[in-house]
Amino acid sequence: MLEVIIAGFIDSLHPLNLLFVLIGVIAGVIAGAIPGINGPMAIALCIPLSYYMSPVAAIGFLVGLNKGAFFGGSISGVLLNAPGTPEAAATTWDGYPLAREGKGEKALRMALYASVSGDAFSTVVLILVAAPLATVALYMGPPEIFALICLAMTIIAGLGTQSILRGLIAAAFGVLVGTVGMEPVSALPRLTFHLYQLERGISLVPIGIGMLAFSEIIIQLERHIKLGSAECALSFSSKPEDRFISWTEFRGCIKTLLRASIAGTVVGALPGLGAPVASFFAYDQEKKRSKNPEAFGKGKLEGIAASEAANSAVVGASLIPLFTLGIPGNVAAALLIGAFVIHGMIPGPLMFEQNAQFIYAIYGSLIIANIFLLGVGRIGLKSFCKVVQAPAAILYPIIIFTCIIGSYLAEYSVFDVKLMLFFAFIAYFMKKFDFNHICFIIGFILAPIWETSLQQVIISSQNNPYMFFSRPVAIILMVITFYVVIKSIRGSFKKALKA
Amino acid sequence: MTIRQRDNLIYGGIALGGAAFLLWIIPAFSPPHPGYGVSAALLPNVTVGIILVLSVLALIRNFLSYILVKRKKPEDVRAAVASQAEKVHLWHLARFMIPCVLLMPAMKWAGFIPAGFVFMLVIQYFCGQRKPVSAVLVAVGLVGFLYAAMRYGLGVPLP
Repeated sequence: MLEVIIAGFIDSLHPLNLLFVLIGVIAGVIAGAIPGINGPMAIALCIPLSYYMSPVAAIGFLVGLNKGAFFGGSISGVLLNAPGTPEAAATTWDGYPLAREGKGEKALRMALYASVSGDAFSTVVLILVAAPLATVALYMGPPEIFALICLAMTIIAGLGTQSILRGLIAAAFGVLVGTVGMEPVSALPRLTFHLYQLERGISLVPIGIGMLAFSEIIIQLERHIKLGSAECALSFSSKPEDRFISWTEFRGCIKTLLRASIAGTVVGALPGLGAPVASFFAYDQEKKRSKNPEAFGKGKLEGIAASEAANSAVVGASLIPLFTLGIPGNVAAALLIGAFVIHGMIPGPLMFEQNAQFIYAIYGSLIIANIFLLGVGRIGLKSFCKVVQAPAAILYPIIIFTCIIGSYLAEYSVFDVKLMLFFAFIAYFMKKFDFNHICFIIGFILAPIWETSLQQVIISSQNNPYMFFSRPVAIILMVITFYVVIKSIRGSFKKALKA
Repeated sequence: MTIRQRDNLIYGGIALGGAAFLLWIIPAFSPPHPGYGVSAALLPNVTVGIILVLSVLALIRNFLSYILVKRKKPEDVRAAVASQAEKVHLWHLARFMIPCVLLMPAMKWAGFIPAGFVFMLVIQYFCGQRKPVSAVLVAVGLVGFLYAAMRYGLGVPLP
């Protein structure tokens, strides 16, 4: 067995494999930084390219692409407040304020180190404890998943907004939009308003681009044009303490990195929840644990560390159910199944018996991709900062045009462009009126799995109203959810009456 | 308009919209119950119900805080006014949205490169670009690069 492991790791060190992993990481960082192109989209576009590679190189390339995209999403988020990917949205809450203070390079460095740390942690967990962790995921049945999503939405509703009422309204609105399309049981169109294009549902890409990037650019242009360019000029301090992360600062974030990495690994191992949930959950927990939570959202390094470590930890962890059970943990893992099949392998428990050397070669590629990400990120940091120092009159039109083309590229559909503009319009008003668009996006992402788990519970229990009482984990999660909601609403009333 | 008035308008509008969804839109655009599982309208009804209840709660909360402030400090009844950054600038929004909406039909009519080029010039002008050479170079560069990437690099159909 040891010979197989060593042989697998040696396979990953083949020069051609190293080259493709490096190319994947670089391409992923660039793709993630561009609003509208995310890891799964980049993987989908590049799977055909992997035909011409060896199996190890192909999977290493695609995984490097995914890892790079997770960090890349934080670049545009920190520097432009327009995250390239939904999971980087929590990073912007502290990253962008730091960038406005001239410490953009520092914020990016923390994002890079946190991304690499979280990724490394989940890769180690994947290698060491994949099988036992997968059995925990298997225990999570539809009642537990339904209850967990209720709790996740409640926690996330309180983030990034001063009013949990507005957060809950935004999350509920997102769930409502998520129900547009085919009803999962009867497969009949629901809330499609007789538009055939809506029968396949609304894709995340136009919502993500419209709400995260396009609307933010419109608001920044408003400040630039109406209030004067000085309001949004992004400069970079030349002082070392504003550019680099000191060992003291990094040491202060180690516990944060560890907690967030654990959160991201657990969420990543549970199919369906995804990186956005991990990053917001980790951010929320870090804020609650902090001695001065009011500093979060104003440029706290721990906020960046928590969000990035958690969302990057999902990358490795999402491969746990894929390798051990053949169940993809997220969209990227689902696309990787296609790559595995192309190269003659079926993900699942038999892989460890039939292709053990290949599995360990992939583990080696994961570790190498992590190292490359650190190098590419450190080398590219100055270039990223230089790009955003371009005049607003050049930078913003490029981003606007890229957003439009990006939303078209998802499914080659002009209708998606219209949807993107529609949701950008909605998000503009949501941001003006302090309704958190992130809660909307989370609600939208979780709606299908939430409804599917509810349907499964109802159908399997044959409409038994006491179905949840037979699942202790589900009961505990629902009780916590109700407690959080009641406490938050009471707190909101007390705050308003005191003011 | 004060922030309180704006909040009341917003929550009132949301409550009305929620009622419209519950009473008309969801019943009209949801398929009938197939006989097993839950009704297709359940989740939309639950979410719109939550939106409606929360918006009504918010209106009640605003009303109660207004009454309390009026009793204790009548001079503080006039709440803060929204700042310039918090105001909605409809003309600014329309100025950027209209060219974006027209871009795809223009590409269908005139082609990717001509429509993209004109779009970039217009958007750059709205963003404050007043140097024609820079504007043309950026427009040509970006549109040309994306055309080449999509047509020859990725091999995807152009809009």
